[in-house]
Amino acid sequence: MAASAPPAPPSTTRRRGVQPLRAAEGHSYLWRRLHSLSGIVPIGAFLIEHILSNFETWNGPVAYGKQVLFLNSLPLVRILEWVFIFIPLAFHAGYGVYIWLRGRSNVNVYPWAGNWGYYAQRITGLIAFAYIIQHVWRQRFTGVDLPHNPGMAFHKVQVELHNPWMLAIYVIAMIATCWHFAYGIWLFAAKWGITPGDRARKRFGYICAVVGTGLCIMGLASIYAVVWKYPNAPVNALPDQHSSLTLPASTSLATS
Amino acid sequence: MGTATLEVPVTQKTATSARRIKVEIRRQASPDAKATTETFEIPYRPNMNITSLLGEIALNPVDVSGRETTPVTYDSNCLEEICGSCAMLIDGKAMMACSALVDRLLGDKPDKTITLAPLSKFPVVRDLAVDRSVLFENLKAVKAWVPIDGSYDLGAGPRQQPQIQEQRYPLSNCISCTICMEVCPQFNDATGFVGAATIAQAKLFNMDPAGSVLKEERLRALAGDGGIQECGFAQNCVQACPKQLPLTEAISDMGRDVFVQQVKDFFTR
Repeated sequence: MAASAPPAPPSTTRRRGVQPLRAAEGHSYLWRRLHSLSGIVPIGAFLIEHILSNFETWNGPVAYGKQVLFLNSLPLVRILEWVFIFIPLAFHAGYGVYIWLRGRSNVNVYPWAGNWGYYAQRITGLIAFAYIIQHVWRQRFTGVDLPHNPGMAFHKVQVELHNPWMLAIYVIAMIATCWHFAYGIWLFAAKWGITPGDRARKRFGYICAVVGTGLCIMGLASIYAVVWKYPNAPVNALPDQHSSLTLPASTSLATS
Repeated sequence: MGTATLEVPVTQKTATSARRIKVEIRRQASPDAKATTETFEIPYRPNMNITSLLGEIALNPVDVSGRETTPVTYDSNCLEEICGSCAMLIDGKAMMACSALVDRLLGDKPDKTITLAPLSKFPVVRDLAVDRSVLFENLKAVKAWVPIDGSYDLGAGPRQQPQIQEQRYPLSNCISCTICMEVCPQFNDATGFVGAATIAQAKLFNMDPAGSVLKEERLRALAGDGGIQECGFAQNCVQACPKQLPLTEAISDMGRDVFVQQVKDFFTR
């Protein structure tokens, strides 16, 4: 060691400064790697599904309603929803905030591309987190119950996006989420040793940029379709589908 | 080289002899003392570096107001960017004082004040000297050595292929300056991240035909709290490294090896 360090303090007192590696101790490796993996599967996979499904809005309220109906017809759909979407998303978001809080971004001192990427990954993650909380609350758990009324999906989103502030939030969140996912794939490949070489990382960076841009364009196109392409969509595009998804017994109970 | 080439034109000579370099230095008398700032003005000479600037101050430790002070304490040894001692914050950025050239720092603004401060993530010992022993502790934690001690003659080591040697050589250039750790957003009190240098050294010794006997222990050590998982891949380390070590490549490679070892351990231990 080149530094003229003073003799090591007694082991009973805590060292000053950053603590040394706790070799082979603790469980942070597992949690941190689970966070990294959960961003790709299932959350990244779900994001792709979500944007592809939303892109059905380009074909109109009926096509979109059918896509929502199809997704809600999947076997064990409520279990799939919790196991592959809500729980991983809550973990990824919660642990992500924890990671953000423990980082000390210094892009003001070292304004390099990778350092900007580090900073942007945290900012876009926070934007996505805040957006998803209100999005899930307002679109999934309150208002018209879409799983039982798939035909009303288009109209529900259209009403939401009628507010220009909400429209701005959706556009910003779409860009932020796609950025977070695309850079997240790149980070995953770099950290897990899939792209160790400089050239491999650069090449993969272009691929991630194409994927992210593609998803973002599809997402923004869906927003365009809902707001401008099909204005004044019917409240229920699939009026015949309403009762078919509801158990006859419960319907009679509810209506009697 | 003829003497004529060393001759400085008269006009430039008068210009340079009048010129002074302004330098502002963060000082601290002891680990617990309050930090203060002192400003100095040093006669300009061409081709100075920060260590020669600090040497000038030591020759005449008087600050800009004429007040006598003490010479500035800083770590240094080789003065040619090979010992790794003299890392400090120069104009706010972590650099080696010996290879930080005054002319380049000033650029086209000769009146600019150069600022010097101790590295921000290590406990200050005095002035610009900091305690970087955390790196030594980290290197010990990953057993960054080749185990060759025995109670008898172990004989010749295994042969090292030149292809392996070529991959290892850049990693062996690490000078333990800790700049990669200083510039890393993840190296801080909250994470206790091990830093790029130690990960690169673990790779260096894992690739050594004799050192690889400790490979699994190194990989398990790096999965501990503060280990390789804390890397956020901001890549500042590889940008700032004065010896151009392939640090991000080492982190990526070790990331894969640590993961494979963890999976292996999960199913076999």
